[in-house]
Amino acid sequence: MSQYAGTPAVARVRRARAKPDVPLAMRVQRLARAMWKHRWYYLLLIAPLTYYLIFRYIPIWNAQIAFKDFFALKGVEGSPWVGLQHFEAFFNSFYFSELIVNTVIFSLARLILGMPIAIILALAIHESRFLFFRSLVQTVTYLPHFLSWVIMLGLLLGLLSPSSGMINEMIKAAGGQPIAFLTSTAWFRQVVVLSDIWKETGWSTILYLAALLGISPDLYEAAEVDGASRWRRIWHISLPGIVPVIVLITLLRLGNILDVSFQQIWVLYSVPVYSVGDIIDTWVYRSGVLDFQFSLATAVGLFKGVIGLILILVANSVAKRVAQQSLF
Amino acid sequence: MSTKTTRFVKIALIACALTLIIAACAPAPTAVPAPTQPAAAAATQPAATVAPTAPPAPKPTDTPAKPVDIELWAQATSTQAPAPPDDWVGYKTIREKLNLNLKYVIIPTGQDGETKINAAAAANALPDFFQAVSTTNARNKVIDLNKQGLIAPVDDLLKLMPNRAKTHYNNPASLAMAKIDGKQMAFVEVPNLPRREGVVIRKDWLDKLGLKMPTTMDELFAVAKAFTEKDPDGNGKNDTYGLGGFFDGTWGQGNRFAFFFGAYGVPDTWDWDNTSNFGLAVRNPNFYKALVEFRKWNESKVIDPDWATINRDEFRIRWPQGRYGIMWEDFCALACVANYPKFDNNFPNGEWVALPTMKGAVAKPYYNSYGGLGSFFAVSKKAADAGKGPAIAKLLEWMASPEGYYLLGFGVEGVNYKLDKNGAVTTDGLSDPTKAWNHESMARFTQMRNQLIYDNNPNEVLARYPDFVTDKSKKPMSPMAFYKFFSTQTWQDSTAGNLIVNPSNRADLQRFYNENFQAFALGTKPLTEQTWADFLKALDANVKANAWEESARKNLQDAGILKK
Amino acid sequence: MFRSTNRDEWGFQLFVNGLLLIVLLIIVIPLWRVIMTSLTPLDVYMRGGTPMFQWPWEWSFAAYEQMLTHPTFPRATLNSVIITLCGTALSLFLTVPLAYALSARTLPGRRLIIALILFTFLFHVGLIPVYLLVAKTLGWTNNILAIIVPPAVGVTNVLVMMRFFEGIPEEIKESARMDGANDLQVLWRIVLPLSKPILLTIGLFYAVHYWNEFFTPILYLNDQNLQPLPVLLRNILIGQNFSEYVDYDVSRAASIESLKSSAVLLTMLPMVLVYPWIQRYFTKGTLLGGVKE
Repeated sequence: MSQYAGTPAVARVRRARAKPDVPLAMRVQRLARAMWKHRWYYLLLIAPLTYYLIFRYIPIWNAQIAFKDFFALKGVEGSPWVGLQHFEAFFNSFYFSELIVNTVIFSLARLILGMPIAIILALAIHESRFLFFRSLVQTVTYLPHFLSWVIMLGLLLGLLSPSSGMINEMIKAAGGQPIAFLTSTAWFRQVVVLSDIWKETGWSTILYLAALLGISPDLYEAAEVDGASRWRRIWHISLPGIVPVIVLITLLRLGNILDVSFQQIWVLYSVPVYSVGDIIDTWVYRSGVLDFQFSLATAVGLFKGVIGLILILVANSVAKRVAQQSLF
Repeated sequence: MSTKTTRFVKIALIACALTLIIAACAPAPTAVPAPTQPAAAAATQPAATVAPTAPPAPKPTDTPAKPVDIELWAQATSTQAPAPPDDWVGYKTIREKLNLNLKYVIIPTGQDGETKINAAAAANALPDFFQAVSTTNARNKVIDLNKQGLIAPVDDLLKLMPNRAKTHYNNPASLAMAKIDGKQMAFVEVPNLPRREGVVIRKDWLDKLGLKMPTTMDELFAVAKAFTEKDPDGNGKNDTYGLGGFFDGTWGQGNRFAFFFGAYGVPDTWDWDNTSNFGLAVRNPNFYKALVEFRKWNESKVIDPDWATINRDEFRIRWPQGRYGIMWEDFCALACVANYPKFDNNFPNGEWVALPTMKGAVAKPYYNSYGGLGSFFAVSKKAADAGKGPAIAKLLEWMASPEGYYLLGFGVEGVNYKLDKNGAVTTDGLSDPTKAWNHESMARFTQMRNQLIYDNNPNEVLARYPDFVTDKSKKPMSPMAFYKFFSTQTWQDSTAGNLIVNPSNRADLQRFYNENFQAFALGTKPLTEQTWADFLKALDANVKANAWEESARKNLQDAGILKK
Repeated sequence: MFRSTNRDEWGFQLFVNGLLLIVLLIIVIPLWRVIMTSLTPLDVYMRGGTPMFQWPWEWSFAAYEQMLTHPTFPRATLNSVIITLCGTALSLFLTVPLAYALSARTLPGRRLIIALILFTFLFHVGLIPVYLLVAKTLGWTNNILAIIVPPAVGVTNVLVMMRFFEGIPEEIKESARMDGANDLQVLWRIVLPLSKPILLTIGLFYAVHYWNEFFTPILYLNDQNLQPLPVLLRNILIGQNFSEYVDYDVSRAASIESLKSSAVLLTMLPMVLVYPWIQRYFTKGTLLGGVKE
């Protein structure tokens, strides 16, 4: 059960919504009263919403160049419309379906593998009783987040290069044939996903840890009094306590399913593994090099948005039913 | 209770915090170099237009005209060094002698710089005068900017700089690359020494294994095989490769292995020798022969198998570690005083010697192809409309005059450099050697030299690439000897390739081409006459290579390179 | 019935800390390599790469020296600090009220506002639409506001913070309202003191973003006196790449790999120093610690 479902305020709203036969005037009056009651909240919203209007919605207005042949001298409004031409350039790419498949595979792998690992790590850190050790682990695991992918390539070559990499040296010592991990279509995806997990898991535990700290210690004490084991306490208190964050992150990740860490792929991939490594963003980047990429890049951005919107709506209604959690 | 007062105090506090944040973060107005004359005097003078032919003579200080502001965007010669400071003597001299307020903004190298220019173009905010940087084809960039109406023709400006035209714009073929519809849309500067790369081989390894210098592709293969398998460095480990290189991200074999395909007469992506039916080099049967041979080398493991993954940095870590016996390298990256010691420290007895064009495969082999141009510089339409064109011409002409050339290319005479009796630049006898023009800390004062100043005259080249004696092995080194050898080989001229406009599906076409090339080369795809023919057909069917070849022929015909 | 005993607890701790130890090693070994690479002298590196271990007296600090003695290093660091502090302050100033207002489930229009915010999260319009706004409409070229303001609010951060505010029991807020506090005062006096972990977490996320930002400075800032540290480090690194055109006598005391590694470690340093301080608030369990049922 959600921890908010029982609050009186929510119950009141649900009841109000359940009565559609209330006369309009009364509903308006009720709304006005509710709005007045929340006047301080609206005051708080002024600055952030102004920000959103200017810095998020004006660019979205400018994004009409996706449907236009953009001319700098004529500006956004003055440029001629060309319809879906830029979208077609993307859809007609010989590699369109492959790009989508690769992108989704990386996205899902990150979600399905990366997230549980981060949650387990967060739980382990949370449960450890050795304060110094656990802060050490916490600090050290989040450090790789700061390594840029260029440095990561250096590290990976040191490990995986067929001519001098550490792992390949071990394989050779054991009598095996060296494996070209970074240029082999059979291994490239694993390298991408695992290196991302290595780099980002520690950093993503921060959120889960903060969520775990938000759980009232009283709940644990009560469970201890009841004689629940450590494992049961994790299962019945810790996990439910971070479900809201898990659902939230999952939904948001699904919304951005067509966005994969561009930097990573750009640095790691090479021609022999294009078929398993090329993603939408790298394609846009390579296409964009060619000329004034503005409209094409914007069109692809909008396309990704549409897909994300559909996914997030579906996932949201699933989450609402299954976990009693939703974004809105 | 005064809850209302408390409320207002809280709101006021938050408002203050916001104001403070904004105030603290808003930068002070950018420091513009202060004009030398008093502001009042300048204000009382009518804004006189600069006479186009005004000689760069010292201005009388009592009646100054209002200085023209010129914003220049160009790459840096040494990106790690900062831009010149606001009180730089160069700015001061330009202000005093030319009555110009120059502001030089460094744009980043590579994609970042191109994005910066593109974004500024999209917002119609291009600077007055700028380097039209491109990571693929500078001519394409000029075409795009011209299509957008953002740049102005410079034909009239060329007439205003007779001296610079002689030293910098003396090659009509390269100037033609920036001509659109008969108008000169950009200046094409002097390239940084053309044909500067070549094949080198480890002479000490040849001697140790008792091999002679290879002259044909077959002999080269035998040597590469021996270098790989016979432990030429005698360290008892199987850690050497005959040939080292990397894929530079362009087309097919890229520049590092182009010499290999050059031996078969097809070093470039385009088949320049085939004027009757010009097209991609893969159509030439010799390309197939070269690829079969290249695949043999790969399968025999005489090429470092990392070549498809590693980049230039990694490559330049590996050869000084003694991993390669043969490679294609830039003469300065190989032999300059800044670079060679890395190898020399590891292998005092090591020696690289240059190899000529490999014979035997075809009747007309090439060393490689060359088509590099210097940087393109354009004048924005806005600047031209504001009448700044002549001022820009005046600046460029001054940069080619002795005064501007030495000041921006080497610094202040007597402090940063001296001229010997032959007129050559030297750093001997400077009172403070850390102020020498080629000392790292002085790099910020000559940031424009590679882009706008240098013209490759013999004295300059001597100063830039001096002979030296190595620290460790006390061997005399002459980078220019390598350069002279490389540049006098038989190179295929592919300069006209700059005229070929990229197809709209370039990303797909290039990927398809490269993916298949590497699959054939690395042995992951069978290479027979049949599979090769299938590939050539797929190039047309899947990614429309034939349409691109068609438009390429048209581009070249329009420029008069190919007959109609 | 399952009863927890000391032995269970002991085994559990062994398991959990064993797991953490393994994770620690997996992370530390490659990180150690980065540190060693930054300290490897050029001649050692050129002979055979980075050794896994070197005695301290064999270390070379040449790479750090090259970074730290760069003429614009102090200025760039100052710029980075200003951008990070102002940016994080502005981000929190916008994120906290937004998240707090949206955490009120009874707020009329709440769903609409969340939908509007999410919409902008889904549609990435690319570089140019934003550039046109910042450089053309607002005229913020060569102004660090262009670096600070446009990325100020992150949707994920807003929603995460909103979830945390929602988790604060209604009774606490209600009791404050009983005492005559309005919703602003509730936020200021009750909610914020209870939310230190999440404020620090989100603040850290924002700070890291601003600290590492290099692309927008390259795009919007022309004056080198405004450039932040990541741009400077990048320029130093790129400079080493073009050795064939560098025809003067560069002090080549450090390899490019050392430079890369030391640049990363230098940028990491402030965050490494700040994090333990933030952690103090994490381990105390500030949130809800004082709530009595």
